[in-house]
Amino acid sequence: MNLQRTTLKAYKFGIVNYLNALKLQERLSGERKAGDIQDTILSLQHPPTYTLGKRRTDHNLLVTESELQAMGAELHYTERGGDITFHGPRQAIIYPIISLRAIGFGARKYVEGLESIMIEVASLYGVNAHPGKAGETGVWVGDRKIGAIGVRISSGITSHGLAFNIDPDLNYFKHIVPCGIRDKGVTSLRREAQMQLPADEVIHDQLIRSFAKTFHFKDIQWSQGGLISLADEIK
Amino acid sequence: MALKLWASSAANALKLSCRASATAAPFPASSISRCFSSVIDGFKYSNSHEWVKHEGNVATIGITDHAQGHLGEVVFVELPASGTSVTKGSGFGAVESVKATSDVNSPVSGEVIEVNSKLTEKPGLINTSTYEDGWMIKVKPSDPSELKSLMDSKEYSKFCEEEDAH
Repeated sequence: MNLQRTTLKAYKFGIVNYLNALKLQERLSGERKAGDIQDTILSLQHPPTYTLGKRRTDHNLLVTESELQAMGAELHYTERGGDITFHGPRQAIIYPIISLRAIGFGARKYVEGLESIMIEVASLYGVNAHPGKAGETGVWVGDRKIGAIGVRISSGITSHGLAFNIDPDLNYFKHIVPCGIRDKGVTSLRREAQMQLPADEVIHDQLIRSFAKTFHFKDIQWSQGGLISLADEIK
Repeated sequence: MALKLWASSAANALKLSCRASATAAPFPASSISRCFSSVIDGFKYSNSHEWVKHEGNVATIGITDHAQGHLGEVVFVELPASGTSVTKGSGFGAVESVKATSDVNSPVSGEVIEVNSKLTEKPGLINTSTYEDGWMIKVKPSDPSELKSLMDSKEYSKFCEEEDAH
């Protein structure tokens, strides 16, 4: 078995506007596809943002766009898989831009890997999370969702990724049918863990380390996000 | 290891390729029984796991058994409109499974003359009838010589084995 032995380049950001992060991912995906950069992972959080996937399931948005704007949230349509979801402060966003072809993974195995890293990090805080049933991709504690996944794979290169609820304002989820699943709730690490949580950055780092281990990277090269000229994306 | 070699040569005789991975996460029983990916003799294959059936002036295109197995259950298919141009190696549509959208590339260049509208209602045909009712588009090839650079069923089976050996 040929384990991948390359370095994962990790960029850490603070709060990043959704569209800026999307433009950055598009740029990095192109560069990864061309072989100009190595496998990369982005770690960040978003301001209050609702997003839809390729299927455009906006029937699962329970308020109007102007009501969303009034509450200070943005709405974006994307090319990722998955249904409607909410992103906001205190929710860990991890966007891996990696080549699945290089490791012979398909979508299913990749997504199972993303589920397993959220389960592993939840377990560090004594929280017993599990993957969803068939057709309910994501990570659950009982019948409450703690982690969501929405991925795009283009020419074998991944973008978008996972969203793990550390302690976001869960009220925002009331305005959608999260992931199109009506009868289940959402939760967070803060709600489920019996112990005190460290700073968000610690949890972000744990997700990245778990990712690197699960996908057989040799090591991680850490960088602060500013170094890839995020300012270029703000037009 | 010896068992895998034997299975591999048996699979070759049966025109099958092994999709099982040594590092596979636990699979439910139904996919353990589907250890080998199937191919169709006479079809051509791209290295991004699309198949082409070329008959006269029409190339019918879909994704392979290996691809659909690695995707999981397909829940949504995005197809181009008839009349759209496609280019060899470039995306023409996408499939969604397990919350992942995966682009599908065209193995040949040409004009889309028909799309499989059944896939709107029944995207799962890609999983259950991969080489027949799960076809995605029909193309009038602009350069039939492009087909020569595609793999035949034997070459493609070997390609899959090598990919899965990671």
